[in-house]
Parts: sequence; structure tokens; C-alpha cells
Amino acid sequence: MDASAVRVRGLWKRFGQQVAVAGIDLELPAGKFIGLVGPNGAGKTTTLSMVTGLLRPDQGSVEVVGHDVWRDPVEVKARIGVLPEGLRLFERLSGRELLAYSGRLRGLPGAEVDKRATQLLDVLDLAGAQHKLVVDYSTGMRKKIGLAAALLHNPEVLFLDEPFEGVDPVSAQTIRGVLERYTASGATVVFSSHVMELVESLCDWVAVMAAGRIRATGTLAEVRGEAPSLQQAFLELVGAGGRDAGSDLDWLGGGAR
Amino acid sequence: MTAQASSPAAVTSVFIRLKLSLLRNGLRQSGGRRAAYVASAVVVLLFAALQLIGLIALRGFAHGDSLVVLLVAVLGLGWAVMPLFFPGGDETLDPTRLVMLPLRPRPLVRALLAASLVGTGPLFTLCMLAGSVIAVAHGGAAFAVGVVGVVLALLLCATLARAVAAANVRLLTSRKGRDLAVLSGLVVAVGAQLVNFGAQRLGSSGLEQLDPAADVLRWVPPASAIGAVDAASDGSYGVAAAQLALTAAALVLLLRVWARHLTRLMTSPDGSTLQTDGRPARERSATGLARLLPAGRTGTTMERTLRYVWRDPKTKAAWVTSLAIGLIVPVFNAWQGTGSVYFACFAAGMLGIQMYNQFGQDTSAFWMVAMTISSTRDAYVELRARALALLLVTLPYATLVTVLTTAMLGDWRTLPEALGLSFALLGAMLATGAWTSARFPYSIPQEGHRNVAPGQVGLAWISIFGGMVGAALLCAPVIALTIWLNVSAGGDAWDWLLLPVGTVYGAGMTVLGLRLAAPQTARRLPEILTAVSKG
Repeated sequence: MDASAVRVRGLWKRFGQQVAVAGIDLELPAGKFIGLVGPNGAGKTTTLSMVTGLLRPDQGSVEVVGHDVWRDPVEVKARIGVLPEGLRLFERLSGRELLAYSGRLRGLPGAEVDKRATQLLDVLDLAGAQHKLVVDYSTGMRKKIGLAAALLHNPEVLFLDEPFEGVDPVSAQTIRGVLERYTASGATVVFSSHVMELVESLCDWVAVMAAGRIRATGTLAEVRGEAPSLQQAFLELVGAGGRDAGSDLDWLGGGAR
Repeated sequence: MTAQASSPAAVTSVFIRLKLSLLRNGLRQSGGRRAAYVASAVVVLLFAALQLIGLIALRGFAHGDSLVVLLVAVLGLGWAVMPLFFPGGDETLDPTRLVMLPLRPRPLVRALLAASLVGTGPLFTLCMLAGSVIAVAHGGAAFAVGVVGVVLALLLCATLARAVAAANVRLLTSRKGRDLAVLSGLVVAVGAQLVNFGAQRLGSSGLEQLDPAADVLRWVPPASAIGAVDAASDGSYGVAAAQLALTAAALVLLLRVWARHLTRLMTSPDGSTLQTDGRPARERSATGLARLLPAGRTGTTMERTLRYVWRDPKTKAAWVTSLAIGLIVPVFNAWQGTGSVYFACFAAGMLGIQMYNQFGQDTSAFWMVAMTISSTRDAYVELRARALALLLVTLPYATLVTVLTTAMLGDWRTLPEALGLSFALLGAMLATGAWTSARFPYSIPQEGHRNVAPGQVGLAWISIFGGMVGAALLCAPVIALTIWLNVSAGGDAWDWLLLPVGTVYGAGMTVLGLRLAAPQTARRLPEILTAVSKG
């Protein structure tokens, strides 16, 4: 098998005047916990949407586990799981119905879907809410049910867009546990985030994105380099390291004067 | 400020000024919204003036009193249901916004009641009540009763709305309440049809039809206030006094109920801090149905589609409107003797519309479908399953409506051809619906009453009206055959042939439409997702 899980060549996307992704090349190794980091508006969501086939690129090619996403969707769609950000789920289904729906739609046998759904609901701590409609779920519960739906068909590569955004610490820990167990079995996780501490503690491979371009890629140690933390390295990479707000707001704090 | 402001009169004036500011701020929004706001106010005032003139003109008509009593009863009903359907309509309706203020229940009730008498709605009601009094009152005593009656009825209407809102505030601020608000458009649509037919029927057979209903309603507040005026005009002062007393008693009772709910609301935690649904979840799955559906994508998609018809408020509203209008138009026309069996095709046409913009009905959740479609075959099975789910409801329903219409007209000879035409039309609608779903998808906003996202109105027009014209053209051969058989000598003997011909033709159209739509869908998945994600 190919050593890289995802291979991106010259990927471009423009929305009117705005260039969201400006010709990126990216090779993500298989079997790793990969973080795609960058500030808001860096093009992370656009990139992940194009890689997973949900958005058509203006230019460039994407291969996932050796198959072209646009020419060979049959091979690709069966091998990937996706948790997008900002798109709805079928929220008028209950959690269990949503899993049953999405598993069967992927062609898994009904009994197998129900068995896996029960286990996923248990592990993700959703068993108590399995008959509640997803529309009544909290943000954390939505992310968890979305993750369950993405994992149900046991994909080789899992793409998660901001999976920890707005999630409470308990749910975050649950999600983390499931993802760690999943990568330990040799699968690949690609997730985007702007929280550096999270990426630093979870990932063993990082791609840094800013203003539609890839600024750095490599193992955590390579990207961090000499800097004390990923946060520091990141600020230097995107050119925000030297900015200090101290001098402008000298009146702030220290009691009323 | 705190000390003086809590004197009752001051609280009342604060609330009236609050209401006036809210009305004024309605004018301070963007240009379009201001225009809409002013236009709606003008329409309401114009309508108020018109119905006032109409009611005054009604004076002296036989059975006019019955009509007036009925109108006031409907008005009262309107006040009762309004807060349920338009919870955002009046921000002062939600007393939980005032929970942090140090207010006592009695002055608060008085102030809120006074504030709710400010606005175009109460003005409209006042015009209508005054007009009703003028329409039925004869003599000084009747007018004196009328003045008291109008005041009581107006207060009663306002209190009714407040009491209903206060009793249901937890519902109104929850998801279920917002779902209910989405359904209100449907009540208006279906109600308008019923009113239309009711008015036609009255026009043809006279107002005395209303008498039995009015005889009951004149004892039901707030219509009892007008009943009192009518009774006083006839000289039965005892009845008038009783009806006025009944109105007053209802007012007092409602004020009590409202005050009690208000006190409870202001002193207990509000809905947002409680678990929305504490009940243990019911087994909602339609397991019985699921077992009957085929396995794989077909059954899965059918089950999801049918669940959405019931659970998604937008989809449900569209379906109920289609079902109701599809039934009302042919059956009511037949009932009045003005219809024809061919009108029954209306049911098939209305229901066929549900096939339009299939992916827009999914909203951005369409990505879950898109992730599982990797070939034309997948797209074909997905679309076919949605068409089958629709047929599961529409086929028996269109048949039922056609048979019902035929039975009412007694024109059994035309039944086969009407059924054949219905099925052909349904098939053509499904075909064009599938194709436009793939080619011209648009977003349906989930909140509010709009059914098209801003900027996609043109797309929606192409999709629906283009599709409907297309469907009519596709049906042309069957229509032509029907006409030919009806006009040609000896053609009548072959009329029954139209049933199998129409059915086969419709089925063929559907399959063809799905076959053409499937490659479009499979090829355009990202574009469809982008188009339906704007809501």
C-alpha cells in the first residue's frame, strides 16, 4: 500500500475575488494522528471539503489512499469518514436512527449496523440520549454523534473539521479516547483546529496553514523546531510573533485613574 | 427612580411607552423591512376601515346578526391562537424578559394589559367590534350595551392572548414552539381555502345557514358581548344583561388565570435552564413500517423521507398544505355542484410538487447522502427511493380523492379516465421533479416562513414553474387521447382504456425522469451541496 494517506497537488479554490486556497501541495503520511492547524480563515475547512469531495476545486488533484477523489469516488468514499463543520446532520432523526440511516446508506448489513451503533453509542456516552432527536442535542453531543456516524463503516482515513470546537471537557476527553484507540489500530486521522495546545498534545504530525497556503509540514518536533511550544512556533510561522499589544493599552487595568 | 417607578400608574405608563418604542423601532430597520412594516400596517388599517364600512352596510340585513356574532367569535379565536403561531410578534408578550425587575403581579398585569391594547391589532379589533355594534344595535339602550360590550370584548381578546402566551411560554421558547410557528403558514393557507368556499356557499344559499352556529356562539365570550347588543335591540334586557355578565365573568376568570401563570413564571426558573425534555424517550421508530420496506438504500431512504414528512416542520407544512388543498379544491367544488371529476387531478398535481427540490429539503445535511453516492446507480436508487416514498402516500390519496369526487358527482363513467389522467400527471410531476431537483436545487431556510433562501428566488421559480409546465407538456399525449375519445363517435366505449394507458404512461415517465436525473445528480454532488447549504 501507498505510504501516504492523502496526496494533494496544486489545489486552488477561489470564491469570487477571495482566494481561499492558493495552490497547496500536501502529503499526509498514513497511520498518523495529523493536525491541520491555522488561524480562522486560513482555508482549513475549504481544504478539507475539497479533499473529501464535498467541494469541487478550481484546479489541482487529490488522492486519498492512492485513489483520485474525483475520478474514482467509489474507492474513495468507502474508505473515508467525514465530520464536517458548519453542515447539518439529519437532525429530525434520533441519534440511533441517524446511525442506522447512515450505516445502511453505506451498504452495511442492518444487523451489523445496529451492533456497531450500540457499541459506539455506549463508548461515546450517548446511550441515554439515543432516542432523543439530534435537533435537541447539545454541541458536544452533536459532535459525538457525527463522529459515530463517521466511524460506523470503519474507514481507513477519518477527516474531522474542528471536532473539539464548542465541546465540553468531558465530551472532548471521550472523543479523544476514541480517536486514540482508532489511530493505534493503524488508521489515519486528519483533523483541523486552531487550538495549538490541543494539536500539540494529540498529534504526531502537523501541517500549518495560513492565508490559503501551507507554511510548514512535518512531525511535531520538526515543526516546533527551536521554539518552546507549537503555539510560539506557529506565531512565528504566520508572522504574528513580534506583535505586542502592551504599548497601546497602557491605561488598561491597575484600578481607575 | 426605583421607588417611584413601582407605583402602579407609573409602571403602566412605562409599559405603554415601551410598546410604543417597540412599534417605532419597527420602522427603524433596513429599507426593505421598513417598507414591509409600513405596508402591512397600511393594509391592516385599510382592511379595518373596509370591514367597518362593510359591517355598517350590513345594518338591517336579515340574519346579519348571525354573521356578526360569528365574525367576533372568529376574531376571539384569532387572538387565542396568535401567540402560539407568532411568538416573536410581540416582545412584551414574553414576561420572562421582565423577570429581573422588581414588579408586583397586580400592577404588572394592569400594565401589560394596557400595553397590549396599543398597536394595529387592537385597533383593528376595536374597529371590528364597533362596526359589529353598529350593525346590530337598534335604539339607545342597545348602543349603551354596545359601548360596555366593546370595552369588555376588547379587554377579553387582549387578556386571552396574554393568558395563552403566559400558559405556553415554556412551549413557545422551546424548539417545539418554533416548530409550531413554522406550521402556522399552513393554517393560513388551508384556512383561506375553507373561508373561500364558506363564503361562496353563503353567497349562493343565504345567511340563514349561519343561524344554528350563531345561536350557540352568542353565549360564548367574546361573541356574547355582541349577542348582548343584539338581545338589547330586541328588547330582551334580561338576556342582554346575562350575556354581558358572562363576558365580564370570562374576563375576570382569564385575568386570574393569567396573573397566576405570570406569578409562577416570574418566580420559577425559566425553560432555558431546565432540561428541554425530561420524559424518557418514546420508541419513535416506525419499526412496523420499516419491516415492510425493502432492504438497502431503497428502504433506508424511504424510511428517512417518510419520517421527515412527519417530523420536520417545513416538510410537514408543505405536505399538509398539499394534502389539504388537493382534497379541498375538487371535493368542495363537487359538493357545490360546480365541479368536475377532472378536478381530482388537482390532488395528484399538488402532491407531485413534493418531489421538487428533494435535496433542498435535506438542507446541508445532504452531505451525508453525497458521501454515499459514488455512481450513477447510487443516485438512481436514491432518487427512486424518494419517489417511492412519495408514491406510498400520493397514490392511495389521489385515488381516494378521485373516487370521492366521483361519488359526490355521481359521474362513475368518468372515473377511469380521471384516474388515468391523475396517474399520468403524477408520473410526469415525479419525473420533472427528480430532474429539477438535480439541475436547479435551492436552499429552504429552516427558520421563519420563507421557503427560498435570499438570492435563489429565480432558481426556485425555474425549478417549480418550469417543472410544472414541463409536466403539463409531458401529459399532453394522454390529455389529447382523453379529448379525442370523448369527442369522437363511439369513443366513449373505449374510455376505460385511459386508466391503464395513463398508469403505464405515468410510470414510464417517472422511470425516464429518474434515469435522466441520476447522472446529473451523481455528477453535480458538490454543486448541489453548495446550492442547498445557504439556509
